[in-house]
Amino acid sequence: MTHALDIRKLEKAYGPQRVLKGVNLDVKPGSIMGLLGPNGAGKSTLIRSVMGIVEPDAGSIRIGGHPWSREAVRGVGYLPEERGLYKDMKVGEQAVYFARLKGMDKADAVRALKGWFERLEVAGWWDRKVSDISKGMAQKIQFICTVVHEPALLILDEPLSGFDPINARRIIDAVRDLAESGTSILLSTHDMPSVERLCDEVVLLHGGEVVLSGKADVLREEGWAGEQEVVFRGNDLAFTNALGAGAHLDRIEPDVADGVRRAHLRLRDPAQTAGVLQALSSSVDVLEFVKVRPTMESLFIQAVNAAGSNTEAA
Amino acid sequence: MRVGLLGAVIFREWRTRVIKKSFVIGTLLMPFLMVGFVAGVVLFTDRTEQEQRVLVEDAPGLITRLDAASGQYVPRCPGCFPERANHGYRFVREAPADSVWQAQGYTLLVEYDEAVLQNKAGYLVYETSPGMVAKRHIERDLSRAMEHARVLASTDLDWAAYQRLKLDLILVDREVSEAGRVEGGGEEIRGGIGFLFSAILFLVLAVYGGLIMRSVVEEKSNHVIEVLIAAVRPEELLLGKVMGTGAVALTQLVAWSVLSTVAFSAFQLFFDSGALTPGGAMAVGEEVPVDLLTVMAENEFTAILLDIQWGLMALSTIGFFVGGYLLYGSLYAAVGASVASEQEGQSMVVPIILPLMFAYVVGSGALQNPEMAAFTALSWFPLTSPVMMLVRVAVGVSLWEVIGSWLLLLLTARATLWLAGRIYRHGVLHDGSLTGWKLIAQWVRGHGR
Repeated sequence: MTHALDIRKLEKAYGPQRVLKGVNLDVKPGSIMGLLGPNGAGKSTLIRSVMGIVEPDAGSIRIGGHPWSREAVRGVGYLPEERGLYKDMKVGEQAVYFARLKGMDKADAVRALKGWFERLEVAGWWDRKVSDISKGMAQKIQFICTVVHEPALLILDEPLSGFDPINARRIIDAVRDLAESGTSILLSTHDMPSVERLCDEVVLLHGGEVVLSGKADVLREEGWAGEQEVVFRGNDLAFTNALGAGAHLDRIEPDVADGVRRAHLRLRDPAQTAGVLQALSSSVDVLEFVKVRPTMESLFIQAVNAAGSNTEAA
Repeated sequence: MRVGLLGAVIFREWRTRVIKKSFVIGTLLMPFLMVGFVAGVVLFTDRTEQEQRVLVEDAPGLITRLDAASGQYVPRCPGCFPERANHGYRFVREAPADSVWQAQGYTLLVEYDEAVLQNKAGYLVYETSPGMVAKRHIERDLSRAMEHARVLASTDLDWAAYQRLKLDLILVDREVSEAGRVEGGGEEIRGGIGFLFSAILFLVLAVYGGLIMRSVVEEKSNHVIEVLIAAVRPEELLLGKVMGTGAVALTQLVAWSVLSTVAFSAFQLFFDSGALTPGGAMAVGEEVPVDLLTVMAENEFTAILLDIQWGLMALSTIGFFVGGYLLYGSLYAAVGASVASEQEGQSMVVPIILPLMFAYVVGSGALQNPEMAAFTALSWFPLTSPVMMLVRVAVGVSLWEVIGSWLLLLLTARATLWLAGRIYRHGVLHDGSLTGWKLIAQWVRGHGR
């Protein structure tokens, strides 16, 4: 399979500081990959290497199956974390300029832009100067400028920063639609809920190395350490006794509904799920028995902490 | 080099600066101010000269005699006082009090005594200064009349014979060139004109160079640069920026030329129609109409404007502007890429603009001695040739020298663009936390990203 983006053994150092240490990453066609990591992990350097802004010391980058080239990069939609617009230009004029730099002719650019302006509800701002519009509005314009040329690969660095929840939702929907229409997306963000909502796969960078990668749901499944949520009707003592040594009870929320309680527990042996459920069912009326998979945020913290301890130990 | 991309960058740079109120106002206003200035000089000169009525108190009776028929004092040498459009004379032996001659409508009174022939000095009395031109005319007329008196008093010659014998030698310049002897001379005036053009070029290079630097710093500070660099090669962006801003300067120069020509032609038409002269466009005592060019030729300042070979100077100015602009514009862009703020850039720009400033300052020396070897060298040296060669072009220089110097300038500009491109490529994405010549040297060598 030809990957939309294929990075192999990428290395980059600034002086004595190694920022990327042999990073491997690939974005499959039509998928959304979350690029995660704490500040200073090397995410921006990785993205800037792909965009040709930073020259890597070693490793290879292929875009759409082709070796890295300026021409290949030109087709990529790129929304940097630190972004801006020309304040003395009109909004529409500026959007057309960026589209033309991406190879569109003026008529096609205007047509495509008008569509996006309608969709993100900024059509009325076409003839206004950038200096007259709000920050949120400018963010939307920047997003539109990034996607207007229908890139096969889209790299978004913190695309939701600065948006209110309603507009953030609009951008998330737009990103999802782009992926459904075949665009491959590399999404760098600290916004974990959006990662859970959007990303098919994630890569977690820490100290310039990949410390966690894979499909988001698989990672959450693999990260599951026996957490269960049980909604039941019955006696707390009977419930606790039924658990026995099979699980550790965290807490019970009383009266979530009329006589109904919710218990949070962790199975001592995740393989014994069926046995625990059977034991509980014989003592109380079990209404729900739900596996609680870890959030991306908790996986993130866990992985970063683990990587940190390994570094210290080394 | 992708022409479409480069064109888009050039067009944006050009459009955002040209479609601006300040540019439109400045471009429209300047030619009208310039023509207005010339018109002011012409009209002011014309009017002040017409207003003079001169009363000459010839107390010793040196230059006048009593005309029995009219009972008035008239010049012994009528030809010494030619009819002038701007002023007329009346002669008396004893002038009345100041308030009286003024009340009689005279604006100037000339006084002298017997000693005038020895000390060559008299007085010009007025309430309002008549200006240099009118004063010089009066001095010349009276000098000739007194010369006439001295000739008659101290020689046996009559005035006509003296005039025939008198000789004012004029040396007409003839320069030996490859084509034989050609017309020469007038270096100072022509050099002055060249100096004027070089001053304009120096200002345009400095102003528009600064504009490029500001534009680069702006793109760094508003973070547009990261998006741009992802789409356009840094070298293309640099070239587009330099060419776009240069196109703005050319637009302004061309607009100024066209509008100045139109405004001047309109003023000339208006002036020649006589609408501006109360008595019509006829000189007093003359049968021919007074046109604008004649009036300008009589004025010292405006006569220089008529002397300019506008075509040649415009061509040379544009040629050296293009080369000089590519050279200095790319250096300004490189500085813009290397700094975090415009203020920081200003201090780095000084050593860059210094050679041009040096050429501008020593250019005035070239007016005195344009053939000096040092000036010839400076007119070939690319960092100073845009300014210095213009002075030499105005004075007169071989065509091969002009073309050679220009080609050398273009070659150097190309090399500078390459060098600036390397600095720009690394510097434009640099956050500005560390700057300095050492870092720039690293960028030139290709390190630092």
